[in-house]
Amino acid sequence: MRPRSLTAFGFLAPYLLIFASFWLWPIIYSFYLSFMSTRRLPWTFNPKMTWGRVVQDPAFYNALENTLTILAIQVPVMLFLATLLAVMLNSTLLRARGLIRFAFFAPVVIGEAAYAAVFRLMFNTEFGVINKVIESVGLPPVEWFSNPDAAMALIIMAVTWRWVGYNAIIILAGLQSIPQDVYEAATLDRVSPRQQFLYITLPLLKPVILFCLVLSVIGSMQLFAEPYLITNVGGPGGATETLGLYLYRQAFLNLNFGYASAVAYTIAALAVMISALNLWIGRDKT
Amino acid sequence: MSQQNAASRKRAIALHAVIVPLALIWVFPIWMMVVFATRPDSAIFSPKVLLTPGNRFWENFNLLQDDLNFTRTLFVSVVVAVVYTVLSMILTSMAGWALARYKFHGRIAVVGIILGTMTLPYFVVVIPQFILVARDFGLSNTWVALIVPPLFNSLGVLFMRQAFSMMPAELFDAARIDGVSEWKIFLHVGLPLARPMLAALAIILFLASWNNYLWPLLIANDTSMMTAPVALGSLFGLVDVSWGGIMVGAVLMTAPMLAVFVFLQRFFMAGITAGAVK
Amino acid sequence: MKIFGTCAVAALCLSAGLVQAEEITVWSWGSAAPALDATLEGFNAKHPDITVKVEHLGYSDVKSRVLAACAAGGTGLPDVFQFQNVEMELIGAQFPDCAADLVPLGFDAEAQAQFPEFKLFALRQGDRMIGMPWDSGPSMMFYRRDFFENAGVSADDIVTWSDFAEAGAKVQAANEGVTMTNDNLNGGTEWLQMISNEQGCGFFSSDGESITVNQPGCVAALDVVKTMVDAELMTAGNFGERVQNLSAGSVAALMSGAWFEGILRNNAPEDQSGKWGVMAMPSVTEDGVRAANYGGSLLAIANNSDNKEAAYSYLSYALGTNEGQITMLREFGLVPSLVSALDDPYVNEPSEFWGGQKVWELVLSRLEIIEPMNGTAYFSDADQVLQSVQTKYLNGEYDSAQAALDDAAMQISFATGLPVAE
Repeated sequence: MRPRSLTAFGFLAPYLLIFASFWLWPIIYSFYLSFMSTRRLPWTFNPKMTWGRVVQDPAFYNALENTLTILAIQVPVMLFLATLLAVMLNSTLLRARGLIRFAFFAPVVIGEAAYAAVFRLMFNTEFGVINKVIESVGLPPVEWFSNPDAAMALIIMAVTWRWVGYNAIIILAGLQSIPQDVYEAATLDRVSPRQQFLYITLPLLKPVILFCLVLSVIGSMQLFAEPYLITNVGGPGGATETLGLYLYRQAFLNLNFGYASAVAYTIAALAVMISALNLWIGRDKT
Repeated sequence: MSQQNAASRKRAIALHAVIVPLALIWVFPIWMMVVFATRPDSAIFSPKVLLTPGNRFWENFNLLQDDLNFTRTLFVSVVVAVVYTVLSMILTSMAGWALARYKFHGRIAVVGIILGTMTLPYFVVVIPQFILVARDFGLSNTWVALIVPPLFNSLGVLFMRQAFSMMPAELFDAARIDGVSEWKIFLHVGLPLARPMLAALAIILFLASWNNYLWPLLIANDTSMMTAPVALGSLFGLVDVSWGGIMVGAVLMTAPMLAVFVFLQRFFMAGITAGAVK
Repeated sequence: MKIFGTCAVAALCLSAGLVQAEEITVWSWGSAAPALDATLEGFNAKHPDITVKVEHLGYSDVKSRVLAACAAGGTGLPDVFQFQNVEMELIGAQFPDCAADLVPLGFDAEAQAQFPEFKLFALRQGDRMIGMPWDSGPSMMFYRRDFFENAGVSADDIVTWSDFAEAGAKVQAANEGVTMTNDNLNGGTEWLQMISNEQGCGFFSSDGESITVNQPGCVAALDVVKTMVDAELMTAGNFGERVQNLSAGSVAALMSGAWFEGILRNNAPEDQSGKWGVMAMPSVTEDGVRAANYGGSLLAIANNSDNKEAAYSYLSYALGTNEGQITMLREFGLVPSLVSALDDPYVNEPSEFWGGQKVWELVLSRLEIIEPMNGTAYFSDADQVLQSVQTKYLNGEYDSAQAALDDAAMQISFATGLPVAE
């Protein structure tokens, strides 16, 4: 490579122009907005109404708690399942591989609106097939949309259903990039398959799983469409209101752009912190 | 040997005992989508559980069209996704080329800032983006507003940078010695070599645009400029609505993507895994 | 596409206007949308040159789309849109130019005087009027006569909320699989709003300058909701679920604005005709007020509509004439806020569906005792806080209704910057 600044920026210019207008500038403007009270015209400088409110608003803490609950339950469950699936899909013993792959990977292409509609009907309290199954084993029907815990469980199940295949694809690619001769050598040394998995596969997969973890954390922090569409905008009574939904409400239903910007920056800071923490915990201890 | 065979058969049985039921659970909602789409509402909301498709697809489709002009929203979605995909591929492959093939001042900074878009939640930009596009430019309900702002997505830049930097420099240097311009080297040497990566990128970008929910929800209020997911979601709150019709909409949104997935699986996988595995 | 559709050259617009009949689009929700459809025949008899297209949308969809469009400087708005009275001040405060001033179009002092003041004040911006009042929503209790009879309960004997709860227990015992009533506990605060209003307590003070949601009337209202839930007389049901329940015959009584009359009548299966009755809502005390308002809308014209005049002539027909208003009352139970329509002979007619009851006589008798409520520009902020506080209170997370509403008042104060009234 040789220095060709002019040529390089010629190629970069169209993208950078879009990037600067629709990402860089908004993010700076957002910072400015986060200090403005936008409750009435004209907007005035009043960080007490924005940053001051973030730190003491119970509704914000409720959304934060919901998001962290989803994060703490859904992400580990999903990554565990994804790893398990990847290992099973990678097995040479597997039959009907194409069909089985289809089952897990197909949800990845399904849009939120489409799958939200199906989940709403499947989990319908009175007529849904899920409650019919629950009742058929003698348990009382679950009020998926009125019981706060059940609604949260529903969101977690929906998100897991949608995203586990996506993560399994990535982990599967990681598995397939592990050279086969490592296993052959281990088999010759009479290392059991279980030990092979624990001492060879998992350590080699760590960077890939870590990558999935960071993606999933960022994804969970941005969860919006599922509680918007499945549980009727964060219902019941805010029990599934995520940070993303809270921000949407503040910005676009209450028209409080200033406060919503402060919330947005808080979400961003949290996402960066949690991702950094993940990377730090998962760093190579050498 | 036979002992080993017996052991592996046992493992095969255990494997299928776990994965087959799981696979059935995973495919069940997709199956139910078809069931609901082909049954009348009286069957969907009945105490009897129905697990097999009916024959009411066209009736439900007509009910959906009565509730809203869904074919129009599909048209909007197709146009937006196609144009977005093409534009994004042009912009990001050019940028990826520059970052992969040239040394220049500020390269590290550009890469750093672009990486930043991947880790920061979209919510930080969506409010000012909306104010800029909707209020300042007055572009709500236009093709431009639906297509252009999401082009900031840097996925393609990193993707194409990786693709181009894996190519041996000699390929391009030979052309340079012949006096071919940099633009033509990119166009006639670089891009053709990156064809498989471009295919993978195209699928991922198309899918992202096709399923995009929040931005079109905010920027398109006029019924004639709504995308299919937003239009479908807007029906959930109606009392007098055909759920069979909604499910037809879900099927129409999903089926083309499933076809893409089945027939272009290789590129699809490559698109998702790019960046994760080096 | 609007941006390409708006006329760039005035001459072009004029010529287009001459050859084409005008078409106006309206965004509306619930039973209000078909009610507007019902007025079109009468309107087009007078204005054959104006085509009105009513888009039937969901309530929250209209709200979020109107707000987003107003924030976008009005691009994408239809010519006319429906909005709730209590929420209209948000548009007035944030987007003073979004809705057109109707005064120059003909909504002058004389025309305004045809409507009661409580429907007008949220629409007034100095000398401007940014909407025309449509309907009001006296809260009524709709009940199943047959379920009540099975339990030996008479609606006439239900005066207080404790009477209602007692009757509820009997009704549920006598009618297998029937729940006494529903409230939108998972996504709204409807009972809380109605009973608070009945008890003279608003979320905000009447001048809109302070928060009053923790005052005794509202506390009493939240207590009623809790009593009903704890006694298992009330289950959660959003709008759609309530309609499902009533048509399935699994609910004995529903309280809502009078506009629910049309929804109920049009969704109930035929065999329920004659089985429903209407009563005034009970009160907290024997001699308490038995009236409140819930809902009630207006129609506004978008400021950047090209067809303001045509839109206004539609508004003044549908909302400003007895003919338009009575059509909507008859077909969909929308209670006119046009004062003269209340003297129309139709309102004294008995209704077959309601078992021969003179429903509208009872409903309209509520109008004069309803206390108007100031929604302010912060109504949805307050409603969101109250939804989550109500859910927590019903789950036992506060010691008392007072504690719950004190907390709510504090949260609303954070959100709005308004003080909590002493």
